Amino acid sequence: MARVAISTALGLLLLGSFLSAAPWAQTQEKPAATDKTVPVVQAKTPPATSATGRAEYVGAIVCKTCHEDIYNNWEKSPHWKTTLDTKGGPSHQGCEGCHGPGSAHVAGGGDKTKIFVFSEHSSKEINAQCLTCHAGGTQHMNAINSVHSKNDVSCTSCHSSHHAETKEFLLVKAQPALCYSCHLDKKAQFAMPFHHRVDEGLIQCSDCHNVHGTVGPKQVRASSTQDAICFTCHIDKQGPFVYEHSTVKVDGCQSCHVPHGGPNPHMLKLSNVNLLCLQCHTTSFSSAPGAPSFHNQSTFFQACTLCHVEIHGSNFDATFFK
Amino acid sequence: MTVRINADLKANRWQENSRSAALCSNVQRRGFARVFPGLSILKIPALAALLMSPAVLWAQSGSGDSPGINSGDYNIHQTIEAGYRANFVNGNKDTYDTFENLGSGLRLFNYSFEMRSLDHKGFLFDSLTFSNFGYGGDPNDVTRLRIQKNKIYDFRMLFRRDKNFWDYNLLANPLNPASLNPPGSPSSGCYATTVGTPPVVAPVVCSSPAVAINNSPHSMDLVRRMQDYNLTLMPQSRIQVRLGYSRNRDEGPGFFTTDGGTISDFNQNYSYTTNAYRAGIDFKVLPRTTISYDQFLSYFKQDNVVTDNPAVNPQNFGYQLANPTGNGTPNGAPVDLGIVYSTQTPAEVLPCAAPIVTGTTNTANPTCNGYLSYSQVGRPRNFMPTERVRFQSDYFKDFEMSGSLGYSTSDNVIPDFQENVNGFTARTGERGSTTSGPANAKRVSVNANWSGVYAVTAKLSILDQFRYDNWRIPGAWALDETNVFGTGYAGLAGLQQSEAIFNAANCPLGSNAVTCPQHTTTSAADVTTGLASTFLGQNLKSNTLELQYDFSKRLSAHVGYLYTNRTISQFSDTNDSGLVYFPGGATASAANDFLAARGSCTEVGGALPAGCTLNTDGSVSFVAPVAAGPTRSLTTINENALLFGFVYRPIDALRITSDFEFGYNDNSYTRIDPRQVQSYKIHASYKVKTWATLDGAVEIHENRDNVTDINNLEHDRTFSFATILMPNQRISVDFGYNYWNVYTQSLICFAYSTSVTNPAPPPATLPVSSFPIGVPMLPTGPACPIAGASSPLGALSTYSSNDHFAHAGIIWKTTKRVTTMVGYGGSFVRGNTIFLNPLTPSGTLDFNYQKPYASVVIELYRGLSYKMSWDYFGFNETGATNPFGLAAIPLQDFNGSNATFSFRYSF
Repeated sequence: MARVAISTALGLLLLGSFLSAAPWAQTQEKPAATDKTVPVVQAKTPPATSATGRAEYVGAIVCKTCHEDIYNNWEKSPHWKTTLDTKGGPSHQGCEGCHGPGSAHVAGGGDKTKIFVFSEHSSKEINAQCLTCHAGGTQHMNAINSVHSKNDVSCTSCHSSHHAETKEFLLVKAQPALCYSCHLDKKAQFAMPFHHRVDEGLIQCSDCHNVHGTVGPKQVRASSTQDAICFTCHIDKQGPFVYEHSTVKVDGCQSCHVPHGGPNPHMLKLSNVNLLCLQCHTTSFSSAPGAPSFHNQSTFFQACTLCHVEIHGSNFDATFFK
Repeated sequence: MTVRINADLKANRWQENSRSAALCSNVQRRGFARVFPGLSILKIPALAALLMSPAVLWAQSGSGDSPGINSGDYNIHQTIEAGYRANFVNGNKDTYDTFENLGSGLRLFNYSFEMRSLDHKGFLFDSLTFSNFGYGGDPNDVTRLRIQKNKIYDFRMLFRRDKNFWDYNLLANPLNPASLNPPGSPSSGCYATTVGTPPVVAPVVCSSPAVAINNSPHSMDLVRRMQDYNLTLMPQSRIQVRLGYSRNRDEGPGFFTTDGGTISDFNQNYSYTTNAYRAGIDFKVLPRTTISYDQFLSYFKQDNVVTDNPAVNPQNFGYQLANPTGNGTPNGAPVDLGIVYSTQTPAEVLPCAAPIVTGTTNTANPTCNGYLSYSQVGRPRNFMPTERVRFQSDYFKDFEMSGSLGYSTSDNVIPDFQENVNGFTARTGERGSTTSGPANAKRVSVNANWSGVYAVTAKLSILDQFRYDNWRIPGAWALDETNVFGTGYAGLAGLQQSEAIFNAANCPLGSNAVTCPQHTTTSAADVTTGLASTFLGQNLKSNTLELQYDFSKRLSAHVGYLYTNRTISQFSDTNDSGLVYFPGGATASAANDFLAARGSCTEVGGALPAGCTLNTDGSVSFVAPVAAGPTRSLTTINENALLFGFVYRPIDALRITSDFEFGYNDNSYTRIDPRQVQSYKIHASYKVKTWATLDGAVEIHENRDNVTDINNLEHDRTFSFATILMPNQRISVDFGYNYWNVYTQSLICFAYSTSVTNPAPPPATLPVSSFPIGVPMLPTGPACPIAGASSPLGALSTYSSNDHFAHAGIIWKTTKRVTTMVGYGGSFVRGNTIFLNPLTPSGTLDFNYQKPYASVVIELYRGLSYKMSWDYFGFNETGATNPFGLAAIPLQDFNGSNATFSFRYSF
């Protein structure tokens, strides 16, 4: 009998330990600080000051009392719409949807230690806070692969809910100046005579790159047909072709072109087209046929693409003449 | 629960507000007193009232941005900037238009319109924003529109127009030799050299005529219009619906070149259109989980038309055919001899050794390669449906994952390709050709990925990412090719002979009438039908495993391993299933079926070989035996890479981030695919003061494919720094420098004849230029070291480019109402490369490209400001642009200024 009782008690103890440690779903109600796993960090939770020991939500209109200018600006921003999200509860609404419950902050006379202040948290904590709502967005689905996050770039490095320069996406600075602030070398590349029209405002960095993270390298997007993003604009190069210039599809456009800007026409990697072609069309260790002997470089001086015009692929000629 | 909290809050809100207001007031009072200790608190309300007066604010801030006007339930705000640009360009206008393309005229530089519901309860929308720039003639126009109604819909529209003018001299004929008797030459003949024993003076490197190609043979003037529409329904609900449509239209005139014995520049009217439809749905019903489904439908069509005839592009037809006989091609028919003229070089003569009939100015040599007309049309139609499922979830504690699965097909059908060539090709003796036949290529793509990150502890995370990508492109073309030969009228040759049409009337059985197509024993078949089959595919699997660890608040690092397996499969096979040989020719006889028995049907022992049949009309048909299937080539590559990086913040103001990659691949697909990869990226950002920031970055990429027969080595290195200084609200200074170094080398083999030597420029005392380093002369120089290579000469091809980019800018609010901006951006490129022929111009190896600018903005009154700006564009090539002995090629250089005068009004 005693053995049974002890065994039962031990069993219940073990079961209780297991249950408490089990990876159950997290509670619906988001606490003041998210405990999202990616980035893996526990955001700071303001110390409780109320009778229950936890800060409580007071509503954005209370925040306006002291932060009227910020509130008025925020009211015009997309984040105001969070006040309409009643399903998520006050933890997803208004100012407290980002900064956490404000009762302790108010009771403390504006004590910054009792509220989530973005400028005083690490980039991981900031990202965790923002991704609480934005994680499932179409642009954020691969946030766990974000190279930016990995390099200590937080959401507020580029976005600002209260001091945005641009209305679209609430950026602290418009593209591409925003991106140039870290990617210094890209400014030089887009200043080259042959470049994608980024500085002219025709396209933006985010048209080709998903800055929040992608599966592929360099955070480059894919087209809607799951092909290179280049084909979104350069539709005539997409094919498929009967005769593919195979390196275009296998290695990508960057096997011959630089993607941002360069010194050579058509943003080619070399200044002389023939040298570019001969790098591969030399018979050795290559599936590409070597240049035939009658292509005499001393007198056959035209650029290869003068005859091999459809160099990205042809439906009617294996040598890309048409 | 939620409702009760809100009710409680409402009940207590007045009290809360009062308490908060009091607290807030205390905080503000204490803070204010610290800043303005001398100002009595009692005077603040009066002062505040005055300052809050809109009129005072408006006047104080100058124009700035108007707060807009309230109309009904909306606040409406607009800004407009319009004016005039005056453009002054010297030098090569085509190059300027290729790079900048900014012209003179009235412009709508900028316009924005915003409507915002004051109570967030607008009738049809709560906010509407519209903006555009560039209208009136600029090459890039962009319009954005966003309309949204909270909880109901969010609509976005983007329109972009890109005027893509291209006419940069691509040095299509860079070795275009000088003409006979160019300035400074000896009194007769062209530049000569002595060769052989006894010495023989041989004319070399001359051309008559000598016509430099001054424009790009692929120049174009296209306009691309891109429209994107996106509608999200119920954007804040747990089920969201997304609809979208995009249209991309690219059209305009351009040029097309082809080699039909001579290289001519045909007119091409580009026309590409893509219509893409999107529909998607997002489910956020599961806790902390999003599942999305997207359906894409894309339709692409191409309607390019290539033509060359005197009516469409008369500039090509500068010569005429002389044929007074009345037979064959009409006398005076315009002839297109092409754009490449090099008539006396030993190995390659274009369009022929003597294109112009002696004693005339514009009579074409009928035996020269040339066109009377050309046309090509093919209308690909491509239907591309794609399905994609994605998910993202952090449902489980300490574990987040995301993934997607996509399937895409593409069916490119060209039912009606047609190419008609009416001309003469000397090497084959053909008088023209027609090519037609339907073609079809498909692309089937399956891709999937999964990523997961698990927080082992608060400091340690494990990330794994798996990617699968499989695509394949089978293609087929049922070709139908007819080679057209000329008639056989006596005394006529080449273009003078008309295209012979084979039928019973023109070519009676058993005869060689002059109207029969005239062949030789080596002439190709008259009709070829066949099937070309191709295949290209790649199967890729990749996995990245990474550990991320936070050593402290100031130091974190990640280390990982990437493995990729790729298999590339391809084949290409053409089966000439049927050949037809027509009779006719100078050596036609009964013994060779009047030359119908030739090629694959050359009689053996007096009989046609197997597969050949003599038809009743005198032609011979050949049906090829069924060939064995093509051999598919497979290339498998295993890639391994070590990944490492860290983030270090020694002090709050300094952040250093880095990423490194070291990879090795056991194979390569092309000769320049790297087998070894090294990548180093380091970036430091230092906030020296709150108003001063310094940034520096080093990025180095090293690729190797150092197999003996390839010796490929590439590096791309950038070193950059930038600084921003904003000591106060009146002035901002930024400047920076970037150094970009690119180098690439690989062993190449090519054909090169050594009978061409450089001309001795007058006076003859100047030395003859020598071959560049790395291109040794045969037979003493090393042959191509690659066994079985088709080209005899080998060299290490090298290319290097050093770009120095400097930029600086100052924004200075000189007075309350005047803002001055001065800046500069300049690229200085110096490069080097192997020259396969020392006469090749250096092209874009060396140039300067500078763009200083300045502007002054004067705020006039209540939202109105006036702006004057100056932008300079200067491009000049600094290398060898016109080597001696060549027909002069105009410089690409230009310099231009744009002076802009505009008013901006915000209301």
